[in-house]
Amino acid sequence: MTALAAPPAAQRPVPWTRLAWVTARQHRVALIGTLALLGALSLYLLIMGLQIRSAYAGVTSCRPAGSAACAETKSLFNAGYYSTAQFMCGLLQAVPVLLGVFLGAPPLARELETGTFRFAWTQGCGPLRWAISKLVPLAAVLTAAAAAFSLLFSWYYHPFFAEGLDGALAPQLFDLRGVAFAASTLAAFAIGAFAGMVIRRTVPAMAASLAAWTGLTLLTVLDLRKHYAAPLTGTGVIPGSPWMVGQWFTGPGGQKVSPSAVLQVVRQAPLSVQEGPNILPWLSQHHYLQWWSYHPQTRFWAFQLIEGGWLLALSAVLIGATLWLVSRRVA
Amino acid sequence: MTIIESRGLGKRYRRAWALRDCALAVPGGYVVALVGSNGAGKTTLLHLAVGLARPTAGQITVLGGESAGSADALDRISFVAQDAPLYRNLPVRDMLQVARNLNRRWDQRYARARLADLGIPLRQKVGRLSGGQQAQLALTVALARRPGLLVLDEPLAMLDPLARHDFMALLMGAVAEYGVSVVLSSHVLAELERVADYLILLARGQVQVAGEVEDLLARHRWLTGPAGETDRQAERMCVVRARRAGAESHLLVRVTAPLSPAPPGWESQSVGLEELVLAYLREPGASALPGPAAVRSDSAGAGR
Repeated sequence: MTALAAPPAAQRPVPWTRLAWVTARQHRVALIGTLALLGALSLYLLIMGLQIRSAYAGVTSCRPAGSAACAETKSLFNAGYYSTAQFMCGLLQAVPVLLGVFLGAPPLARELETGTFRFAWTQGCGPLRWAISKLVPLAAVLTAAAAAFSLLFSWYYHPFFAEGLDGALAPQLFDLRGVAFAASTLAAFAIGAFAGMVIRRTVPAMAASLAAWTGLTLLTVLDLRKHYAAPLTGTGVIPGSPWMVGQWFTGPGGQKVSPSAVLQVVRQAPLSVQEGPNILPWLSQHHYLQWWSYHPQTRFWAFQLIEGGWLLALSAVLIGATLWLVSRRVA
Repeated sequence: MTIIESRGLGKRYRRAWALRDCALAVPGGYVVALVGSNGAGKTTLLHLAVGLARPTAGQITVLGGESAGSADALDRISFVAQDAPLYRNLPVRDMLQVARNLNRRWDQRYARARLADLGIPLRQKVGRLSGGQQAQLALTVALARRPGLLVLDEPLAMLDPLARHDFMALLMGAVAEYGVSVVLSSHVLAELERVADYLILLARGQVQVAGEVEDLLARHRWLTGPAGETDRQAERMCVVRARRAGAESHLLVRVTAPLSPAPPGWESQSVGLEELVLAYLREPGASALPGPAAVRSDSAGAGR
């Protein structure tokens, strides 16, 4: 028997392109599925976007502007396209987590579940390079696709902003535009990858990351986001469809009064006023003012960058932790 | 060169030690059989050697001093884990391509030629192959990496006798062709007897027997004699196992010199590897270990 073959003098690691081929081959179905889903949704947004534009052109070019016929056109536009768009917004909220989890959890969980990690982690490239070559390209493709999709969504939705139907900071829209959509998709992927490594089984890892992402997103929308900057305050009607985050009343002395106290004042108003839209002017005549805390629309990009930034940092930490766990299992 | 060397090696899973105080120095160029009861620590030892697990205590090096799991070690060791895990949803052709792309060294011509010999179609999905073909594919993939050391964990467990024979033929063909060192764990003692030239026997997470097969066999004898004299003989000799059958007594003894004569009234017979392994498996308290630090290649290694 001969001696063991000596390794060649120049130890070049396995090239990344070859490792990336393995990733593309093994996750072909998931990648095609992701692009197919986004492609189908994009096609829908494209067709609807063009229809909305031609319908909106009809609304803006309607003369005379205040006529009953024009009001009719406008209300048809709102009832038709706008309500469909609202439905789409709700539906699209689920896209980041669906794609992120379905692409993020399996790469590690499936290997650990089926035992093939014993093959993968004993190949010449080594487990760390192997894990990097899995997670980084998949994360990059997914994030880029999500970013492109969210650009298309912004284009699709633009006429409704032009019409002043929504503020840019409205939660269901904020999540789908700018960098937030892509960052949130990446975060779902990173949560999925980490859960896959820790839980070591595909379906439980998917379920856990779905729950974690949903919890994180709810926390962000309901609480975290409004603290990105100190809100402005104002009373009366605030122009420019801002994002209202709080309201309260002050009494005749300028002090804050409880809602129940305001309610007692309201009961003193004539019945016709109590139920009608004139209750606020009536209250202010009696020196009870309604105050708002709000974020103006101009903060859209600042908020986008803050949210995108911390989601990106969270994703980097989770992917780093996942890689560390992979490398810790071996020397 | 030693292909596996360990000192004080231990691995603990949660509370229980799977492997403890394991000192080994396995020389290269052998087909090493790793045997032991279920739960004796065979898989743990192999996983430590290929870098899939990290030691809790002590150290293990491979291929002449590379630390287990290092880049150089991974590059030159092929591992076929239990149940030969491969990507079942890939066609054979793509499975080869995956393995090729995960390694610096790859002999595609060898892989294609072996699969053609074995009649394994390249278009077939791995999961659709028979158990024997999957094991052979896993072995082919491992060998096409041109490893210095091939580690196999229970490669024969799921195979029928014919598939076992074919698998061992493929393995021994590669050993003869380019001299790869092999470590394989198995319960199939008959198969090991034909191929193994080095034996490691684990019991309860510790090394019970380690040494060259030829040497071990030369240093063990079956003695058959009157049952009444058993105790007297046992005092004078190192008895691994004693078995009584009526008036006769059979003793497996370790002898100091291969040709030492049997005591008067006793008949001496040589031992087969399978008998030897079974005797030690039945007597986990007995041990046959090489000298204190390292296995010596001369014949003084087996008795202590």
